[in-house]
Amino acid sequence: MFQATDRCSRPIPAKAGIGLRFQHHQAVLDTRPDVAWMEVHTENYMGGGSPIRCLEAVRRDIPISFHGVGLSLGSAEGLDQAHLDRIWQVAERIEPDLVSEHIAWSVSGGTYLADLLPLPMTEEALAVVCRHVDQVQSRLGRRILVENPSTYMQFRHSTIPEWEFMAAITARTGCGILCDVNNIYVSTKNHGWNPLAYLAGLPRDAIGEIHLAGHSVRQLADGGTLRIDDHSSRVIGEVWSLYAEALRRFGHANSDRVGPERAATRCAGRRSAPCRRAD
Amino acid sequence: MGSAVPTLLEIQTAMRRGLLDNSDTTVADILGEALAPADRLSIYRNTSRTALTNALRMNFPAVQRLVGEDFFAAASDRFIRRDPPRTAWLDLYGESFPEFLRSFEPAAALIYLPDVARLECAVGRALHAVDAEPLEYSQLLDIEPSIQGRLCFTPHPSVSLVLSPYPVDAIWRAVLGRDDAALAAIDLSTGAVRLLIERRVGEIEVTRMDQRQWTFAEALFGGRSLSTALALADHTYAVAWLAAHLAAGHLGDFALSDAESPLPAEHPQ
Repeated sequence: MFQATDRCSRPIPAKAGIGLRFQHHQAVLDTRPDVAWMEVHTENYMGGGSPIRCLEAVRRDIPISFHGVGLSLGSAEGLDQAHLDRIWQVAERIEPDLVSEHIAWSVSGGTYLADLLPLPMTEEALAVVCRHVDQVQSRLGRRILVENPSTYMQFRHSTIPEWEFMAAITARTGCGILCDVNNIYVSTKNHGWNPLAYLAGLPRDAIGEIHLAGHSVRQLADGGTLRIDDHSSRVIGEVWSLYAEALRRFGHANSDRVGPERAATRCAGRRSAPCRRAD
Repeated sequence: MGSAVPTLLEIQTAMRRGLLDNSDTTVADILGEALAPADRLSIYRNTSRTALTNALRMNFPAVQRLVGEDFFAAASDRFIRRDPPRTAWLDLYGESFPEFLRSFEPAAALIYLPDVARLECAVGRALHAVDAEPLEYSQLLDIEPSIQGRLCFTPHPSVSLVLSPYPVDAIWRAVLGRDDAALAAIDLSTGAVRLLIERRVGEIEVTRMDQRQWTFAEALFGGRSLSTALALADHTYAVAWLAAHLAAGHLGDFALSDAESPLPAEHPQ
């Protein structure tokens, strides 16, 4: 259980934020938009040169959230310590106000597979994830958030409902939850679960951030559908409704109060340019 | 795996092979509902392959323009399966792509292509190298003149050298600048180019060196002792070149080798 003092000196406000991409760096620096906070992919700032210098400049005015896609918290073979060290280095330099990762795996046999792959919902996988969250929080000296996945397959031997899996991670490690309402919608539709029951199963006090994004629908040969989290489609009405329910439970997007029980929202709707990494 | 519950390690090993090898025989333990397990795995495979192909596109933009999108996608697909990344930091993914292209039969007609890829690797290293203070001349002032010959340098992390029998710098500039006239005017028989690639205030610079400058720089950046590097090059000019490398921030650190090393041996480790 992580208990060290949170390093955040300036918490992300409980307001809507947006993702920051390379192609918008100059516009953000030139126009200094009135945005409550911005989120970046941690992996995009691991080198030196102009990207990280630009992020340092943005950081002076706008709180920054780090959203990692490559740490692979669910890898059976352990964390890539060099990658964790890189996250620590860039976090030392930027001092982000939030750090989040995914409940997924992407590294096996020393190979990075460049996708957020699904975990079986088992006690073994839960223990692996919790061990790794402990290691990350210890190395970074701060609490992190973990994001619920969007999945297209289930494992025959899964024994734990996904929302209980998420709740157990926070209970055992003290980490928070990044609640992606689009992911909840995608997974519950794909697997025949109840999205409201999923939301109700998440521990209210653990929610530190909400993601709102779009997805696409693939028609299957038998007439059914599969929903794919592609982050390049419009947010549909049902996801907006789920978001409203999440706000009712977890916080207010327009609240000017700041507290751990109130979740900030990152919106990722249709974009003008392709994203550098899937998330 | 049969009916026994597979371990997390077994699942991840099977899925990795299924994703990389384009085989679906390992996914028997994945539930197939409306969609067969192979189709579900293919969704992940498609995302993975697209992300890695895009990473190679970003790291090798000139190679992609030279061969076209479809050709590049086909070459990338084969390369990714053969040499997938070892880390989630993809900015430097493809260090072995030039060697792959050298043995990639469909690209054999473009004899300069692997060297353009090598130049793009060096450009990527320069772009993404960690920020580090360059070695300052003042840090060397305390070195006794009698042992200065034992100085061994490491280059700044953004600096690389590339030697090619073709004018790959001109090809690279023309292709990225979409300058068809310049590209058409390039004569592959003009002789070798010796290039220094570096990051300067956010910009990438690619500079040609002559044979003697190259010999000196290669020895200096390769960790040979200063006395060895000076002896290999023309002594009179080489001291000025050392000063120029220091002034330009090309050097990152130094150490003293244990003793003078006679030519042409490497300096003692």
